[in-house]
Amino acid sequence: MRGLREFVALRRRRTLRTVSARYLAARLLQIVPSCAAVVVVAFLLIQLAPGDPVLALAGEHGDPAYYAFMRQRFGLDQPLPRQLATYCIRVASLDFGVSYVQGRPAAEMIAERVPATLVLTTTALLLSLLVAIPLGILAGRRPHGAADFAVSALTVAFQSTPSFLLAHLAILGLALGLGLFPVQGMTTAGSPGSGLKHFVDIAYHLILPALVLASQEVAVLARLTRTGLVSELDSDHVRTARAKGLVERVVLWRHAMPQVLLSLVTVIGARAGHLLAGAAVVEIVFGWPGLGRLMLTGLQTRDTPVLLGVFFVISLAVIFANLLTDLLYAALDPRVRYR
Amino acid sequence: MLLCGCNLHPAAKRSGLLVAAIASDPGHLNPAITTNGGVHTASDLLYNGLVGLNSKAEPVPELAERWEVEEGGAVYRFHLRPNVRWHDGRPFTSADVKYTFDEVLLRFHARARASLSPALSAVETPDAMTVVFRFKRPYAPFLQQLDVVEAPILPKHLFEGTDPLKNPVNLAPVGTGPFRFVAYAPGAEIRYRVNPDYFGPKPELSDLVLRVIPDRGTQVMALEAGEVDWLFGVPGPLRSTLRRNPSIRFLQTSLSPGGSDCITTLAFNLDRPSLSDARVRRAIAHGLDRRLFLERVTFGEGRAAETSISSMIAFAHANDLKAPAYDPGEARRLMAAAEKGRIKLGFTFFPTDAEYGNLLRAQLAEVGIDVELHALEAPVLVQAVFVQRDFDIALIPYCNGTDPEIGVRRMFVSSSIAPVPFSNAAGYRSAEMDSLFEKAASSLDPKERGRIYHRIQELALEDLPYLPLIETENTRAYSARCEGFVSSSHFAAAARCGP
Repeated sequence: MRGLREFVALRRRRTLRTVSARYLAARLLQIVPSCAAVVVVAFLLIQLAPGDPVLALAGEHGDPAYYAFMRQRFGLDQPLPRQLATYCIRVASLDFGVSYVQGRPAAEMIAERVPATLVLTTTALLLSLLVAIPLGILAGRRPHGAADFAVSALTVAFQSTPSFLLAHLAILGLALGLGLFPVQGMTTAGSPGSGLKHFVDIAYHLILPALVLASQEVAVLARLTRTGLVSELDSDHVRTARAKGLVERVVLWRHAMPQVLLSLVTVIGARAGHLLAGAAVVEIVFGWPGLGRLMLTGLQTRDTPVLLGVFFVISLAVIFANLLTDLLYAALDPRVRYR
Repeated sequence: MLLCGCNLHPAAKRSGLLVAAIASDPGHLNPAITTNGGVHTASDLLYNGLVGLNSKAEPVPELAERWEVEEGGAVYRFHLRPNVRWHDGRPFTSADVKYTFDEVLLRFHARARASLSPALSAVETPDAMTVVFRFKRPYAPFLQQLDVVEAPILPKHLFEGTDPLKNPVNLAPVGTGPFRFVAYAPGAEIRYRVNPDYFGPKPELSDLVLRVIPDRGTQVMALEAGEVDWLFGVPGPLRSTLRRNPSIRFLQTSLSPGGSDCITTLAFNLDRPSLSDARVRRAIAHGLDRRLFLERVTFGEGRAAETSISSMIAFAHANDLKAPAYDPGEARRLMAAAEKGRIKLGFTFFPTDAEYGNLLRAQLAEVGIDVELHALEAPVLVQAVFVQRDFDIALIPYCNGTDPEIGVRRMFVSSSIAPVPFSNAAGYRSAEMDSLFEKAASSLDPKERGRIYHRIQELALEDLPYLPLIETENTRAYSARCEGFVSSSHFAAAARCGP
């Protein structure tokens, strides 16, 4: 582990030298057109999708006068280009409009849900790294050995089990069966709580959903680590390092792992979207009050302002994840320079 | 973390707290601006109607202590219960009732708006404790439309002069009901405490939590783990396993959150050439074994429907009438007589009803009809069937309500062929049917109304614009440590929970 720490410290010093302020500003500026494209495309896609928010809102009954009245209230009677223009101007000032269903700002509703999803996804990501890298090393150091076989069986099983099924199995076995974890929710029912007790309560409810969400990432990352390591250990510079008489720990962390971690970083960044999509499924099964759940309800009720707001936030998260990946890449790979 | 798990485990609860699972986040808690089942489930306990409905769906006093029906049913005079207070301590008066009807229910509550606004001429308040409703002509079903589901009363002092759809009180409601609102954690749970000043019998619970658990399977596991004490419904396949659990009890009811006494019905689009032929519709009816739907789709929950008026509405349901019986031979004979050869029809349904589709397709294939399945999610189905009328056969859960005027009339009268959800999907027009419904609505004598509804059901089975399939039922499941539940929307008002 000390090797890893040295390695991280070395790379961190490097970042400042390899990424220029101009590059960073340009990348940040690129976010604006990306977001604008997301807003326009998402808006038009929702208009193309069948299903009318006013009909969804009315539930049973209603009459044409009621629909006309509601349409006017929400500005849905305006021509489409004007609706789009109004929406874009609002979004530019970070106003996502008012939810058709709840009558309060969509931005407020989204902000309430972001922490839950953030806690779930980051915990799952950390858990998956903590598990996947050791598993990958275990398998990659002795290819085709017993450990490799076991790890590969495990990852194939994780990757090929749909997460909703895995979630149900986990609840059935670990929560209902062994009673180790609660079945659902983010906190104990009816206890608002605060301070340390609240924190422990959330952590206790978090473990199972985070494990389930992490499992698919573990599968991908462990296999990637394993494959990367196998090819690195077979490469010329590792052979040279060994020939120099370096101990295996140094060979592994100084010479083989940096390359492997580099490919991991790229993949993790690219999987941010996948992680959020997986979170939606896990949130539904575990009753976790996050963004994915809000998106599903927004879809069912055709609550366009909320839906578009969630799309926007998720796109922003993916864009930033990619930016972060590129910066990390520069920090890790001495050949990469952003000017 | 596992160490503190033992005393943190949610099952270790104090008595007096009831945790109930709901499938969706209601979004807001104002039952007067919507007919949405999720909102009503979460907010009806906070409010009252002028009357309540007992287990036989008869009106009983709630905010109104007593009432008189005058001028042959054209005037209803309600005497309000004295000393009722809102949860914030302000007194409840007739002004609240008038405000709620005029400014909220008749504008935003889709069912009240559709049925009452054309009929009602004025709401008057002669004094603080009296409310008078004047109708343009005698209006029979009014007392069935005044419970907390159809007409919850809001506090005027918190709503007057505001936009009822955006009033912050919708998220921190103040009612008169047996429970008071405590807190709303969006997407997670809603917390309530008992109302110590409630005018009715005091609830024996101290606290109530409605917990949002979207996945039905997770709901059942949460009940088994003791994290939740009450489920509003149990999916068919899980019911039999749950029944073997000695610490779980059940309550059967015809009430569902969207409405009561629902009949899962096939609507035939009469604008389609093949379906405008009555022989084809009758052939379909003879080709379907409704008992098989009951067995395989609802897992025995509910009963095979015979007519379009629910057997739960005793005064109106015709016991002696039967829908066409399962007879594939007769179905094939009718298809041959219709001389259309082998025909192809689309079947449109909600994704949750996929099993109905599979069974229907298999059965109709036997009688020479090829069915193409179209599973459409709710907002899309409503648009395709009722607005665009782009369907052949649709599966619609028509909820009767407690009077045929509420939920059956809209299926059959020609004036309700309109781009409105859950209206006359078949596009059925019959002068006789229209006049029968007019007569039934303006008569106050249940016997007379019963006779008219009998003829209505007879005519509906002759013309067959719809085929009633299943009268659906719901299974509530609850922890054996609790008792005293009822199936109405005030389900927990009389409940008790032990340790």
